[in-house]
Amino acid sequence: MVPVQMNPMATQGLTEMYRQQRAMVDQAREIQQASKAGPVETTQSVSGAGAVKGSGFGDLFNQFVGEVNEKQLASTQAANDLLSGKDVPLHQAMIAMQEAGVAFQLMVEVRNKLLEGYQELMRMQI
Amino acid sequence: MLSLNILPGADSAASAIQAEKVRMEVISQNIANANTTQTPEGGPYKRQVVSFETIIRNEFDASNAVHEVRVAGIEKDGRPPRLVYQPGHPDADPESGMVEFPNVSVHEEMADLISSSRATEANLAIIRTARQMAMQTLAIGKG
Repeated sequence: MVPVQMNPMATQGLTEMYRQQRAMVDQAREIQQASKAGPVETTQSVSGAGAVKGSGFGDLFNQFVGEVNEKQLASTQAANDLLSGKDVPLHQAMIAMQEAGVAFQLMVEVRNKLLEGYQELMRMQI
Repeated sequence: MLSLNILPGADSAASAIQAEKVRMEVISQNIANANTTQTPEGGPYKRQVVSFETIIRNEFDASNAVHEVRVAGIEKDGRPPRLVYQPGHPDADPESGMVEFPNVSVHEEMADLISSSRATEANLAIIRTARQMAMQTLAIGKG
């Protein structure tokens, strides 16, 4: 079993990783378009995650990462409240932690799949 | 924002655990006061009974409605107090020597306690199973 990540910073690191990955994908796309012996019609600007127009999945994944981050923050908040003696039921805190853990795991799986697909494409002989 | 429903059933189970917690507190009160003959309102302690009720969250969205449990109220048990002959007791009736003890039966409370504990266990099993299901689903295609 993969240990449950409790650190919201890890999610932010992942957002950064995803951003870099998107930049790489876009670079690859530009190279591909340039090699098609035609002028590049649309240059896509990469100024940050979610700024890429027309990438439905990118936006969706970005939103998903945000949601996972929110769950992590909620779980941290619940744990903090519990430890500082606020009136938070133990089971609510535990459920929040587990939920954050499973959501994080789901995100990691999606990212793994994405990276796998990208690497598969990069290995392809043209 | 559409919130991610990672653990199905966790909300209902959590509300049930909360309700069982209240029930357990009341059972504890009953057992603690099983021999209390004086109360602020006079007379012996009266056994307290918890009743639960269903509340529906997202009532207007049939596909997403969640039936949760909450404590409807804590009522007093109307059964008569237990009469024990103890002439030396400070609360004894001066004429008959009978003392009114609470209408709490410790055996009954213990049975309720076990029932409450088992109900909590069942709800925890739901959460545990939901988590297991999610993790097993995430392992599709591995190994």
